[in-house]
Amino acid sequence: MIKTMAEYFCAVLVAFLMITSSVLSAEIPMLEKQVKAGTLPPMQERLPKKPLMVDFKGDDKSLGKYGGDLRLLMGKAKDLGQITVYTYARLVGYDLDYKIQPDIAEAFVVGDGRDFTFKLRKGHRWSDGHPVTSEDFRYFWEDMIKNKVLGKKGVPEQMLVDGKEPTFRIIDELTFKYTWEKPNPSFLPALAAPSPLYIYRPAHYMKQFHADYADKEKLEAQVKKSKARDWSALHTRMQRQRRPENPDLPTLQAWRNTTPPPSTRFIFERNPYFHRIDPKGQQLPYIDRLVMSVVSKDVIAAKAGTGEADLQARYLQFSDVPYLKRGEKKNNYTTRLWSLGKGSQVALFPNLNANDEVWRKIIRNVRFRRALSLGINRKEINEVIYFGLAYPSANTVMPQSALYKKDYSQMWAKYDKEKANSLLDEIGLDKRDPDGTRLLPDGRRAEITIETAGESAEETDVLELITDHYREIGLKIFVRSSQRDIFRRRAYSGDTLISVFSGLNNAVATSTMNPEELAPTDQAQLQWPKWGQYAGTNTKAGEPINLDSAMVQLQLFNQWMLAGNDEERTRVWHNMLSGYADQVFSIGTVNNSRQPVIISNDLRNVPENGIYAWEPTSYFGIYKPDTFWYDR
Amino acid sequence: MSDNHYVNDKPFDPKSIEVLTPEQEAIYLAPQRQLIWWKFKRHKLAVFSGAFLALMYLMTVFAEFLAPYSVESRNSDYTLAQPHDVNLFHNGEFIGPFVYGYDKELDLEKMQRIYTPNRDRIIKLNFFCSGEPYKFWGLIEADNHLMCADINEPVYLLGSDTLGRDMLSRIIYGARISLTIGLVGIAISFSLGIIIGGLAGYYGGWVDVVAQRMIEVVQSLPTLPLWLTLVAIMPSNWSQVAVYFAITIILGLIDWTGLARAVRSKLLSLREEDYVLAARLMGASPKRIIGLHLVPGFMSHLIASATITIPTMILGETALSFLGLGLRAPTVSWGILLNDAQNIGVVALTPWLIYPVIPVILIILAFNFFGDGLRDAADPYG
Repeated sequence: MIKTMAEYFCAVLVAFLMITSSVLSAEIPMLEKQVKAGTLPPMQERLPKKPLMVDFKGDDKSLGKYGGDLRLLMGKAKDLGQITVYTYARLVGYDLDYKIQPDIAEAFVVGDGRDFTFKLRKGHRWSDGHPVTSEDFRYFWEDMIKNKVLGKKGVPEQMLVDGKEPTFRIIDELTFKYTWEKPNPSFLPALAAPSPLYIYRPAHYMKQFHADYADKEKLEAQVKKSKARDWSALHTRMQRQRRPENPDLPTLQAWRNTTPPPSTRFIFERNPYFHRIDPKGQQLPYIDRLVMSVVSKDVIAAKAGTGEADLQARYLQFSDVPYLKRGEKKNNYTTRLWSLGKGSQVALFPNLNANDEVWRKIIRNVRFRRALSLGINRKEINEVIYFGLAYPSANTVMPQSALYKKDYSQMWAKYDKEKANSLLDEIGLDKRDPDGTRLLPDGRRAEITIETAGESAEETDVLELITDHYREIGLKIFVRSSQRDIFRRRAYSGDTLISVFSGLNNAVATSTMNPEELAPTDQAQLQWPKWGQYAGTNTKAGEPINLDSAMVQLQLFNQWMLAGNDEERTRVWHNMLSGYADQVFSIGTVNNSRQPVIISNDLRNVPENGIYAWEPTSYFGIYKPDTFWYDR
Repeated sequence: MSDNHYVNDKPFDPKSIEVLTPEQEAIYLAPQRQLIWWKFKRHKLAVFSGAFLALMYLMTVFAEFLAPYSVESRNSDYTLAQPHDVNLFHNGEFIGPFVYGYDKELDLEKMQRIYTPNRDRIIKLNFFCSGEPYKFWGLIEADNHLMCADINEPVYLLGSDTLGRDMLSRIIYGARISLTIGLVGIAISFSLGIIIGGLAGYYGGWVDVVAQRMIEVVQSLPTLPLWLTLVAIMPSNWSQVAVYFAITIILGLIDWTGLARAVRSKLLSLREEDYVLAARLMGASPKRIIGLHLVPGFMSHLIASATITIPTMILGETALSFLGLGLRAPTVSWGILLNDAQNIGVVALTPWLIYPVIPVILIILAFNFFGDGLRDAADPYG
């Protein structure tokens, strides 16, 4: 049959390749049956032509074995969304140096900061086996955002530059392009975020819920059956990417949910088409299933301490550590202390938009804010509450950040009672009551109510120390704790004088990350909610900024938005950080405090020391839980 | 036959038949108050509880003197220190009450501060001595304490909390709020209950109907959501005292319904009595009839039921503060102290943080026994 030498050679080669490949990448035990039965193609066919090989050397990881359940504890059913944060498969995502790298995309090219071309992986499939193509991106842009019914909310904020949207163009089946008129530096960070901008949907699946594609009668029947208001409500419900509630929705994450809510136990099974491999060519993830149990958040520490979780950090606090350490030996886990990646563990936010006119004037005086910052004995806070393990600092980036400078963290952050007192005297708060409390210009006592969402005991303890510190500089502090919603509403409306919350969300920033937290850009910023709302809603609501130093921050932020290169962006970042430090828009206490992370002793490839942060690490996300494995 | 019937027209003197000894006379002619006291005395547990309660309330009066430290004084070198053991003998030698000073070290392995008693450092406990200065009732400057250490090292007889504050002092100060909040609340609910219940019971008719419906509405209010709302609308610049009073008033405003019902039903039966009719015929006003003739008739019963309601108030404050809805730090109450003890680690590692539970339990029990005794005594013929 074989006619030529060449053909013969080819056949041998093919046979050889088939043998070696099957030896090199033995089938995943969990899927063996299905593959043998022919309901699932073998591993090589399930992987894209060019899968993403995870760098094990750089990350100091070991090759693993398949199998096992990863048990996680969550405090509410909504925490289902945490799984997509942990698993962190993104179109593009951060690596361990916080640089943006292709992930689901095989490659991307940015031209002039305003022209983004993405190329997908050939042969990459959704968890149901359907290919991932440009069509999925087109569907999101044209059939959802540009659709009259589904696109009511408008174009996502991160896809608008000066209120203008991009043009979307498909180049071929796997390549497509977004082009803006001006640079859009927040686009890639938005795609790589822990709660990212999802610019794609499984079109083949979603079309059955879309009025433009679906059979009218079938769709109506489905709407009726699901008791949705109309087809768009059904579509919205079925397409949720961040919170994987719909077990039928194809996904690109390492594990897919198999349990429809409501439930207190959600089981995620491996996505047989996941696009990452280990250096040996074995498809990831190693772990077969994630088992997420929903329990009351008050008992999570107790349950974790009795070994009911294999990997747990959420809802654990530093004060739980002695308890957690005690159960280690008996329950076969280790408590590691990761760095908490927040600008400040507990930060004060003097409200520049406070309604009380007298107080507002005082708070807007930078000398008052500096005095507040100088008046805190950070060393004591660190010793008493954090065992001296944290780092006394203003609310700014942590030393681990490439942008860190000592000045940012220490300017106005050294304990200096005399200086604080003299600053307060200077600004006209020099009269005092017999008990030492200063008097405001209108004769009232300088009593400040600090408001908190009352969510952690740690915060209360820090506040008690600060109350004592501030008594020394003649300010009387009351602490009022309420509920998160009420707390926020009061701050937004200006009823709050000073709020307490955690500091910068992203304290290991790089210049490519969005510096929006340092400028009034969002209502949720407790130091200037009304200005933030003004900028965040395109001047539709809130109040225009009328403080020069805050205006400078916003102008710098706008410069960053338009910056064409990294050098320029780095310069702007530094200007913003030094401006923020000098103006003391928020008052930090300590950062780099410790987050207890419980890790089963059998679990491998979890870093010894990580940074536990929402952004940019997506909690465990950038440490790639798909490479974690059980050695037992 | 009727002729044989003899009627003596001389006044009858019962004493001529049955002569009472002076002792018997004392019993039979004793006033109601006296009888109640005699009966109450027989209930040993109630007497004991009453004495205990009196002591506790006395403690709230002299908190500054009794507490070794002030409420806010903290020593950040000794956070979460376990209670000191009080000893009398050192190496077989009697030296009076003393404790061993703590050596402290930070165990980074266990992430705990470890305090070990150092047998070489003896801290003697002095009584009626000068210690931390304070202002008695916020008025008189003084520095006398019942107990203080003889050297400048803290002594924690009930351990210290997360910030190094003495638990014993805080429990003593906490009693002020926790014990009095019940009284203010009960005063309000008492007067409301008597007025509304009295009117409803005496007049009946539409007054009764309105009062009854009002009681039903108040009783059907779900308390927890109500609390959440009230806490949210309480102005944040209110001082702690104002918040405290607002809370007691609200507790009282919700709590009067049960008492009002008791008063009403009691009055409904009493108003049919002949002496009430007599009073009415003589032209007494309703105010006088209720106040002078009816209420004293079951006052003892009211007092007894009030005694039993006070613990509910105390528990209410404790529960609300525990949940973070009631009072808040820096005010100190037992509920606030327990708020710190919500963490699981506390139970396992620092059990002394839940000690405030003990006085709460004791007070509640004491009030219940005391009320029990009072109720029995209130009806001395029963």
